[in-house]
Amino acid sequence: MQFKHKYTTIRLVFLFLSGIMLMFIVAPLLGLFFSTSLPGLFETMKDPQVKGSIGLTLGVSALFTVLAGFFALPLAYIMARKEFRGKAFVQGLIDIPIVLPHSAAGIAVLGLIARDSALGRLAEALGLNLVGSPFAIGVAMAFVSVPFLINAARDGFQAVPERLEQAARSLGASPFRVFRQISLPLARPSVITGLVLMFARGMSEFGAVVIVAYHPMTTPVLIFDRFNSYGLEYARPVAVLFVIICIAVFMVLRLLGRKKNKV
Amino acid sequence: MLVCKDLEYKVGNFHLKDFSLALEKGDYCALLGPSGSGKTVLLELIAGLRTLKKGSVSIDGMDCTHMPPQHRPVGILFQDYALFPHMSVFDNIAWPLVIRGRKKQEIKEAVVDFATDLDIERHLARMPESLSGGEKQRVALARTLVIHPKVLLLDEPLSALDAPLRDQSALLLKKVSLTGITILHVTHDPAEVRILANRRVTITL
Repeated sequence: MQFKHKYTTIRLVFLFLSGIMLMFIVAPLLGLFFSTSLPGLFETMKDPQVKGSIGLTLGVSALFTVLAGFFALPLAYIMARKEFRGKAFVQGLIDIPIVLPHSAAGIAVLGLIARDSALGRLAEALGLNLVGSPFAIGVAMAFVSVPFLINAARDGFQAVPERLEQAARSLGASPFRVFRQISLPLARPSVITGLVLMFARGMSEFGAVVIVAYHPMTTPVLIFDRFNSYGLEYARPVAVLFVIICIAVFMVLRLLGRKKNKV
Repeated sequence: MLVCKDLEYKVGNFHLKDFSLALEKGDYCALLGPSGSGKTVLLELIAGLRTLKKGSVSIDGMDCTHMPPQHRPVGILFQDYALFPHMSVFDNIAWPLVIRGRKKQEIKEAVVDFATDLDIERHLARMPESLSGGEKQRVALARTLVIHPKVLLLDEPLSALDAPLRDQSALLLKKVSLTGITILHVTHDPAEVRILANRRVTITL
């Protein structure tokens, strides 16, 4: 009886604390939605500047997520499978963008692509200015979000029994075929999670992006710009619209990933 | 047929030194030894899944010492069968032929032939997770035999099976050995290979 009483109390405390936590996540979003009028939201949806910024944000984030995948997946595989001196150091390097203040990350990326950098000079020789370009936005997004992809994919590859890869080798497969047809399909749920996280983190990035490219404006920068220039009433509908799109994209990608995994 | 000469390999505290073995075509050799004596490591060395420190491995007169595993004429049946969980039974057996670029019809015929021989043709559409231990073993064996290896390496093939199933599988292995393939069967249980093996080698710690 005493045990049952204790268990019930603990359960109630846990439920209460969990409820507070969920409210903490949901309350600001609900506040945001309820304080926005529908006509204002529809008006914002027609705004060419808003439409342009959303297209830019989603497009650049998606493109750089795919591009980063080509480099991140081999690195994740090596981190999952190989033991080498300095592995902990390399893992530390991978995690650096997560712990850096995002404005500092923006400064770092700016240093990489500025006109006086090697990459900047090369681009200038070709008649391009990287700073303030969609390329700069993509690099900033990828810099802060790629650790999510690498770490999720690494965990996925680690969960694939090495025995399966050995069996595949003994059956006549080259290491690349083993990666493509055995390791990657089996790690797919984690890889998809990583891609979704990277894409979502990239498109919501503000701190690093605003430093490398105020214009053209991504949606987070546009929200900040409208808030700064015209106040909360002008920024709120853009924020609501972007939150709706973020949630919708996130859900669709998750569902697609789940469907593919079931096949 | 299979000649291992002065094999040496070291990993952690385990040290295999000066191990030699020579098997003729059609030999069924039992490799006996207690757990942790390096029997599985030896199979992996012969299959090329680990790199030798010293020594040589040759099969059918061909030096395989530095040959990558995918080019060795060796099939290995792992203790846990290592079936690909994202492929059906059919696809598991067909996969070695698919990667060799064989034609669809040829693959289908080969898979059905082996599945019929091993009495698993009714399971071809199933996924490995839904199979029993004995069925998994037969699928793994079919997948290994479909590439016609010259040497078949068996890692404790009967240890995970119940007693009645073990006898059935032993009979199946005997049947496979009669095809003329050279077999190296790793086990810690001498009774398991009494009727199967014509050669016995003991590996000590």
